[in-house]
Amino acid sequence: MYSSAADATNDHQVSKTTKSSLDHSLVPPCQTACPLHMEIREYVDLAAQGRIMEALQVIRDGNPFPSICAYVCTHPCEDACRRSQVDKPIAVRALKRFAVEFGGDRMIRAEAETTHSEKVAIVGSGPAGMACAYYLRKLGYPVTIFEAHSEIGGMLRVGIPQYRLPRDVLDTEVQRLAQMGVEIRTNTRVVSLDLLFDMGYKAVFITIGAHQSLRMGIEGEDSPGVIDGATFLREVNLGLKPSLGERVVVVGGGNVAIDAARTALRLGARKVSILYRRSRTEMPADPAEIEQALEEGVVIIFLAAPVKIKRRNGRLRVTCIRMELGEPDASSRRQPVPIKGSEFKRQVDVLITAIGQAPQMPDDFRLRIGRGSNIQVDPVTLTTNRAGVFAGGDAVTGPATVTEALAAGRLAASRIDDYLQHRYPRIDKEVREILAGDLLPQTIEMIRKIGRLEPPVLHPDARAGDFKSVELVYDWATAVNEARRCLRCGMGAEIISQDKCATCLSCLRVCPYHVPQLDASGAIQIPVEQCLACGICVAECPAKAIVLRKPYDRRQIVEELHHTLRSAAESKSKPFIVGFCCQYGLFGTGTLASLWREAKAGIWIVPVLCVARVEADHMLHAFEMGAEGVFIAGCGEQCARENTTSWVHQRVQKVKKTLVQIGIEYERIGSFMLSASNEEPGKELDKFIEQITGLYLTSTIKQEVRS
Amino acid sequence: MIVAEQKPLEEIRRMIIPYQRVLILGCGTCMTVCDAGGEREVSFLHSALRLAQAKSGNGIHTFSEYTLKRQCDPEFIDLLIDKVSDLDAILSLGCGIGVQAIAERFPDMPVLPGVNTSFMGMAKEWGIWDERCAACGDCRLEETAGICPITRCTKGILNGPCAGTKNGKCEASKDMDCAWILIYKRLEGLRQLEKMRRYYPPRNFRAIPRPKRLVKKASIGVGENDG
Repeated sequence: MYSSAADATNDHQVSKTTKSSLDHSLVPPCQTACPLHMEIREYVDLAAQGRIMEALQVIRDGNPFPSICAYVCTHPCEDACRRSQVDKPIAVRALKRFAVEFGGDRMIRAEAETTHSEKVAIVGSGPAGMACAYYLRKLGYPVTIFEAHSEIGGMLRVGIPQYRLPRDVLDTEVQRLAQMGVEIRTNTRVVSLDLLFDMGYKAVFITIGAHQSLRMGIEGEDSPGVIDGATFLREVNLGLKPSLGERVVVVGGGNVAIDAARTALRLGARKVSILYRRSRTEMPADPAEIEQALEEGVVIIFLAAPVKIKRRNGRLRVTCIRMELGEPDASSRRQPVPIKGSEFKRQVDVLITAIGQAPQMPDDFRLRIGRGSNIQVDPVTLTTNRAGVFAGGDAVTGPATVTEALAAGRLAASRIDDYLQHRYPRIDKEVREILAGDLLPQTIEMIRKIGRLEPPVLHPDARAGDFKSVELVYDWATAVNEARRCLRCGMGAEIISQDKCATCLSCLRVCPYHVPQLDASGAIQIPVEQCLACGICVAECPAKAIVLRKPYDRRQIVEELHHTLRSAAESKSKPFIVGFCCQYGLFGTGTLASLWREAKAGIWIVPVLCVARVEADHMLHAFEMGAEGVFIAGCGEQCARENTTSWVHQRVQKVKKTLVQIGIEYERIGSFMLSASNEEPGKELDKFIEQITGLYLTSTIKQEVRS
Repeated sequence: MIVAEQKPLEEIRRMIIPYQRVLILGCGTCMTVCDAGGEREVSFLHSALRLAQAKSGNGIHTFSEYTLKRQCDPEFIDLLIDKVSDLDAILSLGCGIGVQAIAERFPDMPVLPGVNTSFMGMAKEWGIWDERCAACGDCRLEETAGICPITRCTKGILNGPCAGTKNGKCEASKDMDCAWILIYKRLEGLRQLEKMRRYYPPRNFRAIPRPKRLVKKASIGVGENDG
């Protein structure tokens, strides 16, 4: 099913361009921030409608290994999320995890056919290597991965602890690569690239990562009992159980430091502390990970660094010094400055250094090396100084994130393809406009505040001493409700043409968020960065001059209505009742979804993304097409937006008035809104349907009597 | 702005009975703003008429719809020239001016009014409009503190208030402000209460005959020059 989807790199580029040109929405900040440029808004929206399998499809289209990202992504999308200006960002990673677990990711088989003869070697099997192999296989190249360690996965395997990324998740993805026909050679250290070319490989992708820990450069650093973070994590992850003693101190403030500290706890160390030379605000580790480490009992000593280590009686005596923050340095973080005479001493059993890592490249590769032993490449083509040799991932950037590595791997696959096909590199250009700008205070004020729903986590007591996954997965209701919080940035309303606009000011008056504004020339402007795409102004514009920016595959209500009415006409079931039902939240997947799924005789659901978008005209149209009754069912007080119910009532009243003039009973139209007290609109709805059925029977009998 | 209200559907249906092919013609200016005959209302009326026809089962009408930027200017109306040939009637959702303008332009075409032109006024808020001007041609707003007694007083009296005022409201309706109390209060605020003491003679209706015409362009005779 999935393998037929056009997701190979070049197809991906082509399809992306066509999709983009049909997509009238702006690129939201989450997508801009994602190294893989995933369609986050789309899959969150699908999740909000309970369409989890489709959400997974969107996720898989943009990410070769979504299940891995679902666990370890550092979610730059959440940092960019504009919901954080209102309350808290959308829990994108947790939603992705939910989609992966509930959408049936494990059942998806990846397949690939070999259509090219040029063999490609990938040196290193980390996320960049795996992604590159995945996309090159999709493009039809024979691919071999060379891995020095005994197992595949690079940092995913030897760097990231199991409690953050369960190994069966990684194994599933590795297996999928093998299924696709990627040749995997473990325990094979590549020492010379010439050899690879001699073996017949036409291109080589170097993605050896950054496994070499940086040295602190202090006295006693080489004493027994001092170990570097990368080596420590590698040993533990490859199955060794180093004995650590009682007290462990970790030096550093990045994710590796946190991982090392939490791993040490799980190996039985009693007291684990972290020494970090700056303060918490400067700490580069993921805040959630820091929080979890603290919960587990890790102590973080801020503004302190070791200056001397001395080994005595099998223990380490670490002399530390206090720091204060000075002027910002090149990384724009404030530079720590030692405070004279503030030395203090600590007795520990093991000291783990985690102050950064660099790539370690065999000399015979003969590649040009830049700052921090990183391999130098052209940022666009990823080519190195040697023909046919490409490089990416941590080996080029220095320690970075999994998602960045996946993006590098995907780009490399596309560039290697260009190289092997003697093509000028195709630059993947985003044709759509990028949404920029913050929400205004008056917009924020009007947005309904709905707190972020965090996924459950394993209780701290259950974590220490165990490598089980800490973060758990959402249940269905929580996931859908969390996804509903999305502000759907960049899909807002736009005025088709100022000429059509009568400047009646209706939009300005009806907008619940006070978004439309009169500019100095007296024209209406709807700033796209403020608009939350509720659609009320679209329905209320008397000149029909406003439309919502439409993503490429989204159906508008009219299209949905026609589609539904066509199907209804074919089925000829009576009575024929049309329901415009909100698809957001549990409403779309709960009570009303049962109507839709059970397909009660004669009830046809037109799914709408917010009932505020249903126009009076749509309701009349359903009657015109033969509907015996029409109802609108919205999530009422559960709605993520303000005021939707009153607009539905306005329009229903208008239609009722018209129906009566035509000689149709006004009881044939009704609206049902969930309220906090009444969470079961099913009964009311059943009553309405009974009523319609009754009216239908009466009219049939009357007709028969007449004839 | 001119404010109007769409006619009841029954009335519109009765009007169109003799005609088979009917164009529902909207107006993109005042009628759009007052929500009586803009593109959306044209479309809604279109649906309603089709539904009514389907319901009554006599399928004799065929409807089409179009919305002009303004029905009260000949140049805009000319955009209809290609469309009128296969029509039996035009149902204009323009104000009374629009209906007449269309009728004037197409002598052989029956033109039906789809709205009742109500008054000249302004929006109070979304969905509510209030009358403000009677186009009497003899503006006295300077004397009445910018509040027009002709339109806003039920009786239209020039020397008010009358004895029917109660708690600032009109005897005709408890919801309606007494225009003369409004005038009094505003004059008080402006420190011009002495204007209340003046007597305003009846207006000279002979000075404002109908139909009126406004000529802005100067008539320049042959041989005249401005130097």
